[in-house]
Amino acid sequence: MKNKTGIQSHDFSGLIGQEVLIITKAVQLNLLGQVFRPIFCGTVSEVGVGHLTLTPVTVKMVNAPFYKFPTSLSIPLEKIVSFTTEVPCDLVFPLT
Amino acid sequence: MKRRYHVVAIPIRIVLNTFGDHNPNGMMYVLKENEEKVKRLVKKNPFMPVDLVQPLFIRANEGDTVEILFENKLPFHAGMHFQEAEYDVCQSDGANVGFNKDTTIAPCEKILYKLHLLKEGNYFFSDLGNVSSDQNGSNSNGLVGGLCVQSRFSWWTDPETGKPINSGQYADVHHPLLPSFREYVWMFTDEMEVNDLTGNRPINHFSNQEEESFHGANYRYEPENRREQLVAEGVVCPNCEGEEVHHDSWVFGDPSTPILRGYVGDPAKIRLFHGGVKGTHVFHYHVNQWFSDPNDLASEILDAQAISPQSHYTIQPLYGLGSLQGSFGDAVIHCHLYPHFVAGMWGMNRVFNTLQDGSQCYPNGVPIKSLKPLPDRPAPPKPTKMKPGFPNFIPGKVGMKAPRPPMGIVGGRGLTELERNAAIANPRPGAVFTDPCPEGAPVKEFNISLIEIPLMYNREGWHDPTGRIYVLDEDLEDICLGKKAPEPLVIHTSSHTRYEINFTNRLPHILDGDAFQLVTRTYEAGMHIHFVKFDVLVNDGANVGWNYDSSVLSGETIQYSYYADTELKAWFFHDHLFPGSHQQHGVFGTGVVHPRFSKYLDSSTGVEVDQGTEITCVNPLTPDYRDFVIFAQDFTHLFNKDGKPLAPPPFPGSPDDPGLFGVNYKNEPLQFRLGKDCDPAYSFSSYVKGDPNTPIFKAYEGDSIRIRLLQGAQEESHSFNVHGLRWLSERGDLNSRLENQQHIGISESFTMEMNVPRAGDYLWTFETEEDLWNGLWGLIRAFDEKVPELIKLPDRLEPRERSKPVPQCTGNKPPSAADPTVEIVEGPLRKYDVVAFQTSIQYNSFGDHDPDAIIFALREDMEAIRDGKKEPVPLILRGNMGNTIDVTLTSYLKPELFPFKDGIYPYPIVKEQAFYPPSLRISLHAQLLDYDVKTSAGETVGFNGDQTVGPGESRTYRWYVDSAVGVCGMWDMADIRNHRSQGAFGAFIAEPRGTEYLDPYTLEPVTTGANVILRNPYLPDTREFVIVMHDGVRLLDKNNQVIFDPVDGVLLAPPEIDEDLLDTYDQGSRGFNYRSERLINRYRQHEKIHDVFSSDVFGDPSTPVFESYVGDPVTIRLVTPAERRRAHTFHLHGHRWRFGSENIHSRTESYVGFNVAGAKRNLQLLGGAGAYSGFSGDFMYRSGNIRWDIEQGMWGIMRVFEELKKHLPKLDN
Amino acid sequence: MTQQNECQPINLAREEGISAHFGQNIGKKVLILTEAFPFMFIGEIISVVDDFAEMKVQTTSIPALEGKTWFVHIDTIEVFYIETENGVPIPELKE
Repeated sequence: MKNKTGIQSHDFSGLIGQEVLIITKAVQLNLLGQVFRPIFCGTVSEVGVGHLTLTPVTVKMVNAPFYKFPTSLSIPLEKIVSFTTEVPCDLVFPLT
Repeated sequence: MKRRYHVVAIPIRIVLNTFGDHNPNGMMYVLKENEEKVKRLVKKNPFMPVDLVQPLFIRANEGDTVEILFENKLPFHAGMHFQEAEYDVCQSDGANVGFNKDTTIAPCEKILYKLHLLKEGNYFFSDLGNVSSDQNGSNSNGLVGGLCVQSRFSWWTDPETGKPINSGQYADVHHPLLPSFREYVWMFTDEMEVNDLTGNRPINHFSNQEEESFHGANYRYEPENRREQLVAEGVVCPNCEGEEVHHDSWVFGDPSTPILRGYVGDPAKIRLFHGGVKGTHVFHYHVNQWFSDPNDLASEILDAQAISPQSHYTIQPLYGLGSLQGSFGDAVIHCHLYPHFVAGMWGMNRVFNTLQDGSQCYPNGVPIKSLKPLPDRPAPPKPTKMKPGFPNFIPGKVGMKAPRPPMGIVGGRGLTELERNAAIANPRPGAVFTDPCPEGAPVKEFNISLIEIPLMYNREGWHDPTGRIYVLDEDLEDICLGKKAPEPLVIHTSSHTRYEINFTNRLPHILDGDAFQLVTRTYEAGMHIHFVKFDVLVNDGANVGWNYDSSVLSGETIQYSYYADTELKAWFFHDHLFPGSHQQHGVFGTGVVHPRFSKYLDSSTGVEVDQGTEITCVNPLTPDYRDFVIFAQDFTHLFNKDGKPLAPPPFPGSPDDPGLFGVNYKNEPLQFRLGKDCDPAYSFSSYVKGDPNTPIFKAYEGDSIRIRLLQGAQEESHSFNVHGLRWLSERGDLNSRLENQQHIGISESFTMEMNVPRAGDYLWTFETEEDLWNGLWGLIRAFDEKVPELIKLPDRLEPRERSKPVPQCTGNKPPSAADPTVEIVEGPLRKYDVVAFQTSIQYNSFGDHDPDAIIFALREDMEAIRDGKKEPVPLILRGNMGNTIDVTLTSYLKPELFPFKDGIYPYPIVKEQAFYPPSLRISLHAQLLDYDVKTSAGETVGFNGDQTVGPGESRTYRWYVDSAVGVCGMWDMADIRNHRSQGAFGAFIAEPRGTEYLDPYTLEPVTTGANVILRNPYLPDTREFVIVMHDGVRLLDKNNQVIFDPVDGVLLAPPEIDEDLLDTYDQGSRGFNYRSERLINRYRQHEKIHDVFSSDVFGDPSTPVFESYVGDPVTIRLVTPAERRRAHTFHLHGHRWRFGSENIHSRTESYVGFNVAGAKRNLQLLGGAGAYSGFSGDFMYRSGNIRWDIEQGMWGIMRVFEELKKHLPKLDN
Repeated sequence: MTQQNECQPINLAREEGISAHFGQNIGKKVLILTEAFPFMFIGEIISVVDDFAEMKVQTTSIPALEGKTWFVHIDTIEVFYIETENGVPIPELKE
């Protein structure tokens, strides 16, 4: 089965090269005291059996909603709560 | 990592603004490397501010150890006491407390302080060597500073040069993994000594009286008086009045106060400190919002936040500078308390949209300093001739008032070419340079006018002849004709709404003069808004910096546009042009943003509405609720029915605490609530004098309600309490604590969501004595059966048909309340036999005493207390979750033991004192517990039955402990004038199930006491210290002379103290647990001010000394049951706790702000006694208010032993 | 292209996949964020035992927990980055 985003069931490789917005399970994450909701936006650069990688990736921090993280980030597929390819990474939207 | 700073305390002349106002006796901490330079610069510039003269702000990273080599060049002992840090209290406390080694130092000496910084955040520091609140004290003269602790691995640079810096109010902070951000430090300071150019106290040019005291930030202030003088003398801005251009850079250039510079979208943190000594301020920052706790994404969103002395927060604007909408321009930052704002306590956040490399100038020719873009963000575009960027596209004229915005004013102008170039693609009225509203957002239009109309505050004829209020245009006629009662305008919409507001200024040009004010030309007005998203340049409803003046003249209409992005609280609106002149007349309102898809119904007819202070909100998905809006007001200019001004100021135009109080343009003073028998016990009863004329909000039993609490005017703190109901303190966070009280300052907004469990009359109050006395109370009335005036909530069952008539006013004393003990108890029952009686309390060993105190005690202790065998202490009761508590109260009050038979106290006073003879009845009201208000609220309210007891009578209240909420205040509600500040209070503590309470010295079970061990099979043994903070006490000294505190307690006082400094609510003595260790008594014995806390010199203080061992789990129960409006800060040296004790994400702090009547907090000390590092010694607990608390005895000691002591058994952990 | 083992639920396959991915990167430096305390680990992957990664941890949010070997339950990792020859290095964190 294939849908319009190009992902086949159980297979995310169709997303490679596409910009996706991904939200994962944690209520909040904490990087050295800076807390943020796990909302990531970026281009899928790699898809593995259990993860995908976003390069480059924006971390949507409430105080810095367009923060470009210094490295790529990989996300375990099992941690993904929801994702979309229809929200561009430069879209301004409320995070509270 | 170890960092080292060499800090010197020096005397310095502090020039506070470019008008030459200065403090000749200033003091500051400065880095040694800058000492000579700052002295040289100050010598060269005796009348101009010097950049280096600012409070010392230094930085370090979380996890660092910081060594401060402190050198004292002041002529008295001084030190540096750090909050938040962990340190050896015997080596680095910066004070001389208890039996610790003295860590203040004599002039010319040095000392090394070593601090462990466990958490990122704001670390306030100040001197405790000289705690005089007067002009000879160190703190009000500037001896305060801030250590900003960053995330690990951070570094910081100068925003102008990009080079590393060691200190300063502005820094760009960088990190390998986190976004770089602008760090701005904002230190409120107040009450500093100020001289003008001539060396005299500044004179107000309008009233020719002495100016309001200093209120500023970072040793600067920009008073309206000074700027207004330039207008009055014809130097600038012909035809201007003054207040409307106070913040206008077109007229005056930029102020001397801080201007926080950045680019649109820059991440930022404002490190906010209160370094002042006295007042609670409200920090308000236009355009931006932030989380109340930056560590907790479920915490409340704020845009105005009260702050009391020696407390601090980090303000982290959501979405970076300019907020979600990316608004650029000048956003004013100010203390929202108008007298402070007018006095000069304001600055700006300047958000540029083009690169500033130092080559540009402001319109007045002053160069714009360069500003490095943050390295991890794209640089903004360079300015060009056609696109010069803010502020250079705005067609203003230097020396004249800012221009009006393009497009917004009906019949006004369009865009100039430069404006066109700067504008968005499709500009429209109210959204020219940024559009906050996404396409397709539903539009809601409101036509709003500001009018002048007399307001009648109560049935006795107290009125404001020049009320000024916002109204919807469609109601204009009805309100002016008296067909519709005036109330603060409340408009209702759902989130994701685009507001289109047509605002018309229908005020007369002139605000008339009277006993309160001089004639003022208030010729323009606007609508400044909080919380919603908007374009600050054209839509601020204000006149700030180099922005436009987005107000209109009388008779004109302006179009504003806002967007509500999420479900917000009630967003405050008010005029920003002449608020100091007329906001206290009623110029405020609010918009409530409900969940999306909501509808709003008139609660009595069910007709759909879009305005009202009381409505019913229905939603297809979420539970329907009643929505109630309450506005507190002070500085209300009222006249009685004969035209006599009530509580007028000393002269018209004086900001010295004029007028009275209101709530939604009403009040119900207690002096008018006495019935035939003149018993204050029935003041709140509707049987005797009918319902109050203040709001009575209606619901059916079981309804869900939301209270929107705001403060519309003008300067003071208020303490909102609801008796018998409670809510989560952070609405979005289920881990937050249960509350039934909220401190509020002007412009703050709180939403309290709760359910009304049972029918009955619930009392809401602004609980402090003067507020309540003057009528700030009303009811929430929950009906058990159907009434015609209230529709049911559509998603709830039909209420029962009425089987009995609703109660009516009879003019007689209310019937006795039913006996709650007839119900069968399930689960454990705990009984307390409590008596109330009069006794004398010794407040300290120097003979200060209250001979006329009223206390609650267990019956078994009454005789011993009366015989002097047992010292009176506030009654502390405890119960465990799941317990039913039966408290039987008996009154032993005797009429002859009341000192003032008419209830009029010569000192301390309240405004509008009147005949109110002491009640011989008494009651016991408890907070937060679960009870039926009809039988067990411990008060006689509305149409509930009588719950007070007369002499010899007894009554049992039944409370259920349904949650281990910790400390709850308890107090009398029968006579708030003659009982409560006299001692009729205590505390109840709701403990976890299965807890036993043991005496810490004998380990025997106890039934009461402020110091116990809590033993629970599932929890570690914990020491519980109950600290009851209270004020407003009338004390006599050992010679039976009245103590006129706070004045009598001032250390190093000049021969004549300016009595004007004192507000009524500052009057009286204060302390902890019926004890007060007034420092003046100690100083008179031994005239060394740095030794006043020393037990080596004086022995231990009379206030509780709480003992423990290093590492002992300790919970402090802090409660303020009484009495006055001045908010106190609580601070414990060397320890921290979670701001929300049940929330693991919560920020950690070493202070608790806003301790006013009804406040309470449970403080679990992190790391236990001695903190994580396990230090032993004497840790001072105290107020954070240098003026006037510490001197007046609000301090004590928590003693932490390292070695086992015979008298103190160790905990069995 | 990944193929699902017919007998194995997809969730298990993904969890195994990610453990395998860690297994393929032994000796590499990794940055890990978890919802649970201490929220962040940076260090070298030493080995993978079932679904635990053994790590020599250089940096966490708490200095006292650093310089030690930690076993991180791979299934609890919220987000991570493994430093490879092609990718950017994990920024150096200096006190």
